[in-house]
Amino acid sequence: MAPSRGSQALARTLHKTLSNHRGPVHVVRYAKGTAKYVLSGGQDRSIRLWNPDLGTEIKKFEAHGYEVLSISVSHDNTKFASSGGDRSVFVWDVTAGVTTRRLAGHMGKVNVVELNADATVLASGSYDSTVRLWDLRAPARAPIQVLEEARDAVQTLHVDATTIIAGSVDGHVRTYDLRKGELRSDFIGQPVTSAIPSSDGTTLLVSTLDSHVRLFDTTSGKLLNAFTGHNHTSYRCRACFGHEEATVVCGDEDGAVWAWDLVDATVLQPNPPPKVHDKVITWTEHHPIDPGEMVTSSADGTVKVWRHPS
Amino acid sequence: MSTARLKRKLGDLGIDTSSRKANENFCLIGTPLPPLEKSKDTGEFVPLWKQEVRDEKGRRRLHGAFTGGFSAGYFNTVGSKEGWTPSTFISSRSDRATNKNRPSRPEDFMDEEDLTGMRDDQKLVDEHEQMDLLGGTQDEMSKRGLGADDKDAITLALEQSLLPAPKDSVGARILKKMGWRIGQGVGPRITWRQREIAFGRNPDVPSDDIDEEAKKHLYAPRDTPLIIVERKENFHGLGYDPGLGLHASLGVAPEASKQSNGPRLAGGFGLGALNDADDDDLDVYDHSQIRGRNHHAYDANDVHDEEHVLMSSRSQGARDLGKAAQPQRPSTGKVVFRDGKQPLNGFIISEKPVAEDLCFPIPDVPKDWTPNPKRVWEMEKANSKDKENASIPPPSQTQSHAQWKKGISANQRGAALGETPLPSAPRSIFEYISKKDQERIKNIAASRFAPPSTSDDPSPGPSLPTPPTITHTEPHVAQAALHGFQPFTTDPTKQARYTAYLHAHANPGSGTIPPAQKPGQSAEEFAKEINDYAKSAALFRPVSGAMAGRFTSAAVLDLGPKIIEGLHTPAAQPEEGADSMDVAEEKLKEEVKEEAPKVHAARLGMYGVMTREVCTWQPARLLCKRFGVKEPDLDVPDDTSVPSAQTAAPEFTGAAPADEFADASAGVTQAEGRGSGSSKRDVANIGMGEDDGQGDDVLTYERPGMDIFKAIFASDDEESDEEKDRIDDVDEVDEPPAVSAPAGPSNPAPDPDVKPPPSNGIVEDVDLATFKPTFIPRGSKPKETEKKERKNKKQKSSKGGILVSFDVDEDGGDSSLTAARQKHRDRDSERPRKKKRKDREGDGGEDMWVEKPLPDIVKALPVNLSLDEESQVSGQGSGPPRARKRAVDFM
Repeated sequence: MAPSRGSQALARTLHKTLSNHRGPVHVVRYAKGTAKYVLSGGQDRSIRLWNPDLGTEIKKFEAHGYEVLSISVSHDNTKFASSGGDRSVFVWDVTAGVTTRRLAGHMGKVNVVELNADATVLASGSYDSTVRLWDLRAPARAPIQVLEEARDAVQTLHVDATTIIAGSVDGHVRTYDLRKGELRSDFIGQPVTSAIPSSDGTTLLVSTLDSHVRLFDTTSGKLLNAFTGHNHTSYRCRACFGHEEATVVCGDEDGAVWAWDLVDATVLQPNPPPKVHDKVITWTEHHPIDPGEMVTSSADGTVKVWRHPS
Repeated sequence: MSTARLKRKLGDLGIDTSSRKANENFCLIGTPLPPLEKSKDTGEFVPLWKQEVRDEKGRRRLHGAFTGGFSAGYFNTVGSKEGWTPSTFISSRSDRATNKNRPSRPEDFMDEEDLTGMRDDQKLVDEHEQMDLLGGTQDEMSKRGLGADDKDAITLALEQSLLPAPKDSVGARILKKMGWRIGQGVGPRITWRQREIAFGRNPDVPSDDIDEEAKKHLYAPRDTPLIIVERKENFHGLGYDPGLGLHASLGVAPEASKQSNGPRLAGGFGLGALNDADDDDLDVYDHSQIRGRNHHAYDANDVHDEEHVLMSSRSQGARDLGKAAQPQRPSTGKVVFRDGKQPLNGFIISEKPVAEDLCFPIPDVPKDWTPNPKRVWEMEKANSKDKENASIPPPSQTQSHAQWKKGISANQRGAALGETPLPSAPRSIFEYISKKDQERIKNIAASRFAPPSTSDDPSPGPSLPTPPTITHTEPHVAQAALHGFQPFTTDPTKQARYTAYLHAHANPGSGTIPPAQKPGQSAEEFAKEINDYAKSAALFRPVSGAMAGRFTSAAVLDLGPKIIEGLHTPAAQPEEGADSMDVAEEKLKEEVKEEAPKVHAARLGMYGVMTREVCTWQPARLLCKRFGVKEPDLDVPDDTSVPSAQTAAPEFTGAAPADEFADASAGVTQAEGRGSGSSKRDVANIGMGEDDGQGDDVLTYERPGMDIFKAIFASDDEESDEEKDRIDDVDEVDEPPAVSAPAGPSNPAPDPDVKPPPSNGIVEDVDLATFKPTFIPRGSKPKETEKKERKNKKQKSSKGGILVSFDVDEDGGDSSLTAARQKHRDRDSERPRKKKRKDREGDGGEDMWVEKPLPDIVKALPVNLSLDEESQVSGQGSGPPRARKRAVDFM
């Protein structure tokens, strides 16, 4: 319907199912660069490195004592950070498979962890409603700074060159602008589960627990578009941009992957989308380069790799 | 070979080589071995570290932690090198009789000491065990009980008779020594007559078998039966007999109970169905039989028949058994069912028919009947209403006793008899109060205690006596409690009443009705309920004031599904439901009202300005560094980077009074000319620092020639320095020197990173009344002075070498100034050196705290103030301007 604008249909053909996890998979993330690999973390306290093309598990990282809730891969793919129920953030060496640093300081489970562009600073958002910024260069144990503005658990973080975006259950998306030295807190009204800015930084995609995904203008905080239809009321689901940010993709709690056109907010066909996971889809991530690949992780214990039929 | 030759030689010499003398060996090779046996001297001194502890067998028993750990375990506990091995299954088929398949005992793990200890213990136990003579203890009973499992009664009896009699206990031995025999009672001897009475026989009744001789003797007292109280170890109820059925235990069916009352016969040979049961054949360990039985301490066989008193049913039971066995026998053969079948062996056919349960037919339900509990409740309600309406008659029943008692009181009786009534004692203090006062008090009491409803709402309790104490809740408390924790959420009825109560009290004038007394609730209960509400209102009201923002009360208290206690009461339901609905609606309204505009906007989807809040945020310096971002220049005061003028300004009165002050201060013409409003500094005034009036006096007089200065102050080497300095100043004001030469006094090395001076520090109005010196870390000071110095230089160059000293700035509060330095103050040539010194001071003592320089206005003020004032203000007798003037005068 929208090929004229170049918005391509979503990759909906199941390519591989990665099902070595026992229990829910909380997060699945592409590696950086060409993104040939995928890292997933789940309730079974392990982090697994996959080759999504072949569907094979390459490595298993085990050090967490509790569930793994978040993973962030460094720019050079040599290390990644993970966090979860054990209130500390682990920084891993990918090849050695061991943790190089364990950053303890949070008072609750760490919901989200994010590395900055050159992996010198690590931001972690926790159930204790703080965001802690850790220095990965120096061996100092204390965080560089603690952002304590959130009134409830921090669910999502995004760190780019000059801003840190934190979405919290208290219904706010807080943008910490380092250059301006200002904090812009946008009140969404509903618990925020994911907040992803577009690559140019002008818009922000926010999914909230009232079954809405909203697109905001970052400069004014105005609502540009709202994407509805899916069911998202109680779990952390992640909405992301599709290829070239022409679409918005979000997995919902019924196990269906929804896709909308970014501009006119219509649901892309099929509408309603088929149920592809047995349980809630916890993470949706589109391949950073490849227009026809996408991964989803679900509470049914599987990670699914989607591609265009070919 | 040589020895042979030697022998030969010796033989030639005539010496007997075989003699002992010739064979004597004087050669000693090697070190001798120590003697095999050590010296017998056991008392020999051995150093402490050589001493060893050995047990009686000479084994080392104490080992060092590093050397003997295993050995200690090996020797002391386990006894094998491999350590303790768990027992494995060994088939008893192959080695049946060996000790190996015996389970390991504790003794296996004991050494000699333990074993002897245990043996000692066992001896002690044995002594104890012999104390109970016939095994009356629980131990013995249980042992016997165990034995009875595999041995039948007869073998047990045989065993008992064959086994040697148990040894007497100590007590028994003592008793025996005192003349006591088995079967006798303890105590002084009694006569035959006493004995007969004791046995319950009449000694006066003549009987033929009484021996005359017997009367002449004294007899041992009667043996006291030993009552064994059985321990209750089961969980049966008291009086429950496990063997008995319900009828039997109640004594309803005598036949059945008799059956079970009789002692059970021990199984085994020798007792056929036709044999009469003997004493011996009874099952001694019949549990139910032991219960009622009394035991003798000594069950002697040789006692006289008459003395053998059996308190129990032992022999009687046997007789009973004999009788009971009688009807049992024909049951085996004779009685058959009506259809001719015989009952099972051991069963008899009951002669009584089985009692049939009485059944009543179900009443016919009318076809149009539907269950309607409401009707019942309404009836109930009507009844209660009736009761309320007729509130006097029912009490007549309940108070009948009081009435009856009161009925004919003494007064009444007296009145009936026509007596003159006695002057009764006054009952209360009210009787002493005048009528008017009484009324007043009553009014007060009424207005105080009665809830507002009583006046305008005559609904439920017209005859209510006012509750004795109703606690009043203040409106603000009630208002607060409405938003606070709701304590009665589990009980919706109560909750509704509580909310109603709170509403009524929160706004007393609004006409909301407080909960009235429930039907069927007594006044006391009602008062208590209201009291509870008042208490919980006081208790559960949310925190107010500064702490309030720190807590939020949960919107919904999740206590699971709300279960209404008791029977379903449909009549009560609608009212309460409506009530709570109202409450909920009200709450909703309130929430909507209180909803912040941003929430409202967010709800309407009007995102944007309404939902966005922007405030400053200071990222950590390191964070900016890591992100590669320049640190934002915020107005947030930073203790090191922000100049003191900025921080000092807000401490004093704001900018508004500045003008006034400036106007008021006369004579600062130049400063005013530049204007307090002038926010920018140009080259002309930049050297003035923050002090507009500074140096005015200096500017007014003409500077003497340099040679005078030189003649007075400068030494020869300083001269050249000064000259150089001046030359330098002209061109290198702004460019920082690469390296300030250690001896080169030319220019103080300014920090290249130093920020430009703040542009807004012009007006420094100081309220002298409120001024107080503040302290800043010393580390920040040199920079400032440096800056000022640079400015100073700049000005100097521009103004063509007018001598202006800004030492005031530093010295205003610096008490460490020496007189010598003051003397040299005006000399530029001195400056760099001093500066350096200061720098050094600053570097060395960065952590020390020195007094912050006074705000410049203070320093400037003395110009316009009298000297006395100045000295008061600056706290120094020798104020800087004065000193300067003196120097001029001096010249």
